[in-house]
Amino acid sequence: MHKKWMWIFAVWLIGFSALVQAQPEPALLTKKLPGKTMEQVVQALKGAIANHNYTFVREQSIDSRLVPADWEAKSVYIVYFCNFAKMHQALAIDVRAAQFLPCRVTLIESKDGIDMTVVNPAWVSESLGNPLLHIDCLQLKADYLSIMDEVAL
Amino acid sequence: MIRMWQVHSVLAMVLLLGTGPLVAAPMMVTKKVEMRQALDDLTLAAANHDMQLVKVQPIDSALVKRGYEDPHVRIAFVGSETTVRWAEAADPRLLNLLPLRLSLVQRGDSIVIIADDLEPWKQEFKDSPGLLLLEALEIEVKALLQDFARQ
Repeated sequence: MHKKWMWIFAVWLIGFSALVQAQPEPALLTKKLPGKTMEQVVQALKGAIANHNYTFVREQSIDSRLVPADWEAKSVYIVYFCNFAKMHQALAIDVRAAQFLPCRVTLIESKDGIDMTVVNPAWVSESLGNPLLHIDCLQLKADYLSIMDEVAL
Repeated sequence: MIRMWQVHSVLAMVLLLGTGPLVAAPMMVTKKVEMRQALDDLTLAAANHDMQLVKVQPIDSALVKRGYEDPHVRIAFVGSETTVRWAEAADPRLLNLLPLRLSLVQRGDSIVIIADDLEPWKQEFKDSPGLLLLEALEIEVKALLQDFARQ
């Protein structure tokens, strides 16, 4: 009896995931932060990352190591972070999870403030065709949105 | 013994999965080489295509250090200044793709390098001036991977 319910749950889970896949996901998740400076946003982002149980990995300008350090663009920054347990789980499900690991937020300075964007992992996983990985990606997307909301506060 | 409800469950699962989107064909290459040599070869291959190895993220050792199983995966980021400037001018949203990410996966005594699949990006940016950049990137990454395999 117990086995039967396990089967039914597994089928429901995968089926639900497949249905969710049918909904088109946006490629990018974007948050506009008017009136904020790059430094303010990077600091707020580091705080939100820690508050969501992720570990800050590094920050760099978009052209870091492509140009001499003094010439690096100050207007586009990338912040990397990860949660090792989630990373381990995602890679155990499907090694192609490496396509969205570690987590990455791109900050682009505009005339009004800062645009904060991330590549939507659920959009990436739609093309990978692994329903189990997609469930993890939906959770990761939710985490990204929550972190971005906190930065916007 | 297989029961009818189990057969129905599997059939339902197959039908549901069949309605999903098409699975992408990633850009990838396999080579019989150790990880350290693979990174050296990748650095050379990138240089041959006016790119630089910007950073290697040793996910494998980071996870092992924290008590997790070794996934035998490293991430290499490659890029070029030209690509960054092109993206800034054509469509800054493409900066999210840069530097390009390559996954190095150890399988037995070989390394598989998997590049981000650019096909969904091309679909997404089909009406953008950034499409040309994506097409150029796709050509360059394919050539880079072939170069890596030949070395």
